Amino acid sequence: MRKHDTKVITGNACSAYAVRLCQPDVVALYPITPQTEVVEQLARFKADGELQAEMIEVEGENSAMNAVTAASIAGGRVYTATSSYGLAFMYDAMMQTAGFRAPVVMTNVNREPPGIHAVSSGQQDMIATRDIGWLQLVVEENQEVMDVTIQAFRLAEDYDIQLPVMVNYDGYFVSHSAEAVKIPMPEDVAQYLSALEKQPKRMKLVPGRSMGAGSHGLLLAYTELRYKHVAAMERAKAKFDQIDKEYGDFFGRYYGGQIEEYKTDGADLILVTSGSAAGTAKTVIDVMRDKGMKVGLIKLRMFRPFPRERLSRALQRRKAVGVLDRSVDFGWNCGPVYREIRALTPEIGCVPMLSFIAGLANLDITAGDVEAMIDDIYAASLGSRFQETTWVSLEEKT
Amino acid sequence: MGVTRGKDMIQRKKRLPRVFDYFVEEDQFAGGNTFCAGCPAELALRTVPKVMGKDIVMVGTPSCSAPVLHGQNLGSWHKLAYYACVMTGVASSASGLARYYQRVGIDATVVCFTGDGDANDVGFQPLSGAAERNEHVVYICYDNEGYMNTGNQRSSSTPLGAATSTTPVGKSARGKRNLSKYLPLVIALHPVAYVATATLSNMEDYAKKLLKAKEKSKEGFAYIHVFSPCVVGSRIATDSAIEVCRMAVRTNYFPLWEMEDASFRFTYNVAHPRPIQEYLQLSGKFSHFNEEDVERFQEAVNHRYTIVDSLCRSGGAFDIPSVQATVSR
Repeated sequence: MRKHDTKVITGNACSAYAVRLCQPDVVALYPITPQTEVVEQLARFKADGELQAEMIEVEGENSAMNAVTAASIAGGRVYTATSSYGLAFMYDAMMQTAGFRAPVVMTNVNREPPGIHAVSSGQQDMIATRDIGWLQLVVEENQEVMDVTIQAFRLAEDYDIQLPVMVNYDGYFVSHSAEAVKIPMPEDVAQYLSALEKQPKRMKLVPGRSMGAGSHGLLLAYTELRYKHVAAMERAKAKFDQIDKEYGDFFGRYYGGQIEEYKTDGADLILVTSGSAAGTAKTVIDVMRDKGMKVGLIKLRMFRPFPRERLSRALQRRKAVGVLDRSVDFGWNCGPVYREIRALTPEIGCVPMLSFIAGLANLDITAGDVEAMIDDIYAASLGSRFQETTWVSLEEKT
Repeated sequence: MGVTRGKDMIQRKKRLPRVFDYFVEEDQFAGGNTFCAGCPAELALRTVPKVMGKDIVMVGTPSCSAPVLHGQNLGSWHKLAYYACVMTGVASSASGLARYYQRVGIDATVVCFTGDGDANDVGFQPLSGAAERNEHVVYICYDNEGYMNTGNQRSSSTPLGAATSTTPVGKSARGKRNLSKYLPLVIALHPVAYVATATLSNMEDYAKKLLKAKEKSKEGFAYIHVFSPCVVGSRIATDSAIEVCRMAVRTNYFPLWEMEDASFRFTYNVAHPRPIQEYLQLSGKFSHFNEEDVERFQEAVNHRYTIVDSLCRSGGAFDIPSVQATVSR
């Protein structure tokens, strides 16, 4: 194990410490609950001379995204952080970031989006930006925030990828919870990221050079750029696995890349979820395994691109699958991740699949909730009639 | 420059307009491009690198300058480094570029070139933000008084009473009901390094301001508001855009001034302003005006001019501390 500092810090502070370790050139700052501590901590690092980046204290998230995208195209390592309403406010700029293949790294602290004002946790914000060509990672707890934020720079700037990366974690549950975290040494992070320096240099927008970023893409040229973008997203799957392994070999912490499989060996029943809910689910699965229930967990760590191949393999030969979402899929009456896993039916076989919607707007997902979900999955695996979509919290109340 | 008879007289006749004294670079744009015939924005744009040099990065956005500035696929109409962004992103993208170049020590002038619809409306917040941060950026707004790329819709720069496709003249409407936003003055009330108005009838004045903006952008934000009437939207003859610019100045419709070190001054004095009717009659977008409309328009012009005049005449009376001092980063 490499040398490290240990500090008890929040998930938000983990983001800021990780960014300091990666030393970006340009950072755009704009506060929004529950992300605010990230930008405050970065401003503090800058004021204390511990962060060299140019800090742009923008007047809104839309400008944050435009500023870091342009700085990225000029050649810089860049970072910004947002949440919910802020994410929505940078939507047009985020599409440009993706279209430009700008390796921007952004933290998104999951919070319910506008519509029903809820200053509370939920993954609907990230779901709403699903189809704009960003890589989207979802993490569970503080140490993972630290490690994956560092990995995000490695992934975004990889010569074979060159795509923006969004690191998501649950507002409040992760952003505001303090835990003991191992903070890597700056020289180790520099050495880890130096893999990027051995790659070919990406294009930069240089003053005085006859070159442009953002030409009109017409007809076949547009199609070709889209094709290449999608191809890069496909490459990002194996690349994220590789990065996770290299990071683990270097720092001693492995997470599993695109997905984490927890006690899935010999499991008949699988629960799939992402983010902080996975922590509770693991605790429940430990207890149920002790009681002899053959149940395991798959934690989705990469939401875009969707880990089709690895999920298909991991879900084969199971008897029933349940998916716990902290968001809804408008128009399908189920959870968004559930719908995507259902689309894998040809690969995994026709088994009962159950969608659980829980934890919206800061509602706790309790051990009892998860236990009830696993009971439902078990019953369905035995051939009982089952309800496809369960609004967990509403069921409890009625 | 002394003028004598004989040989010197011949030289004087051949002498180019003074604006040529400011040109340091050959034309960076293709001879034939996709601007409309007679469009003064083309002149405004071509002049930028001629005066500022080609070691600049231009930032633009969807607009009627985009077909030329953005290029199509691998094709380009110019030889400049260029960044095309979304309409909300001009000033913020320029901030990102400028800050990165500062971070790594690249001496670069980042020049935004965008229309009034962007600067006044959809891109106004980022513009105001960048101005407040006093970013080291030149921002040029070419003001054709509406959304001309989409076919002549009103913007907040469209003048009172003007007919556009979203403020048409009909039985119960007589063009735009509101006065326009006077953006150069709005920007001048930000803590910026430089603000100027310019137009294409006064080319030497424009060139001087471009040069000054480039220098001032080393200290902070430099803004130039260029009156550039749209041949199509304003319904003017293709050979008359410069004449419309000239009359806009002579009627005090578009006074030429600059602000630096927090003090305002006229850069062109109109000794005997012409009645506004002489300007209005040049544009089809005012062709429905009756006497009362003209009178109201004249009042609006007078009102705006009085504000600018009082700022310029007061000289040092506005004892505002110099705003260019920025905390070293």
